[in-house]
Amino acid sequence: MCRDWAETMKENDFAAQATASDRRIQVSLTGTADLTVKCQLDRFLRDIHSEAQRCLAEEVTVDVRQLEFMNSSCLKSFVWWIGAVQEQVGDGRYRIVFVSSPTVYWQRRSLNALACLANEIISIQA
Amino acid sequence: MPEQQALSFGLQIQPQPRMVSIVRRFVEESFEKLVGDSDAVFRVSLAVHELLENAAKYAVGDKTGLSVYFEASGRTASVKLTNQATPEHIARLRACIDEIQGSEEPCVMYQTLMRRTFGIQEESGLGLARIRAEGELDLSLEIEGSTVTIVASCMPSGRRHHV
Repeated sequence: MCRDWAETMKENDFAAQATASDRRIQVSLTGTADLTVKCQLDRFLRDIHSEAQRCLAEEVTVDVRQLEFMNSSCLKSFVWWIGAVQEQVGDGRYRIVFVSSPTVYWQRRSLNALACLANEIISIQA
Repeated sequence: MPEQQALSFGLQIQPQPRMVSIVRRFVEESFEKLVGDSDAVFRVSLAVHELLENAAKYAVGDKTGLSVYFEASGRTASVKLTNQATPEHIARLRACIDEIQGSEEPCVMYQTLMRRTFGIQEESGLGLARIRAEGELDLSLEIEGSTVTIVASCMPSGRRHHV
């Protein structure tokens, strides 16, 4: 079971928060994910993956409804994360659920593209 | 804005990462007031963002020229970005755009590039593939010495596709 765990980061107008409990991790991203926050986002996603591995998480929910834009460099960060989850076997694998907004235009196209990489672990809630 | 009207503008900016989102928001806000098709505005602003980021990462010199043209109907649009680049970068750009444009299935190419970028940090061309797949824009390259212009423009309606 996950102990209580939390992580936050803020850079420019981008902010990320993660909390964990009961083998579930909740992530919230807001603002703009662009080149200026790529390194921080990489580190943040690595930390989430580490925590998910440590507590044998079943699911990580990523709420992007308030994320105005994500550039291709930051999409690559998510590609790395998805690939890292796909490489896991057994309990090391977990689902990633994106919670999206139909009124934020980048989300439908970009999240669908990410989901196509790994339909077996990714789902999108609109 | 009446159907036949168009809006265009040009900017000379320093290719700095912190400028990219500022310019994208400017494009979005300007065109949203004039064009009813929010999705078309998003596709153009996506191209502006990805092209400017490419310039911020790889351009030589401190000037980048951006021009955007948009018809009120949303059917015709173009984004042009001009900057100086090294011969090596121009060669990589040419190869990348040839590969992306050479694909009959932009979304499949986009997925292929995504998988190829797994675990690598260097130049991948993913932003350009995104412009073609998500932005539904064609890409072309104009080269004159060390000056390179990338053009992203609307596809004919018959070739529209969705990710």
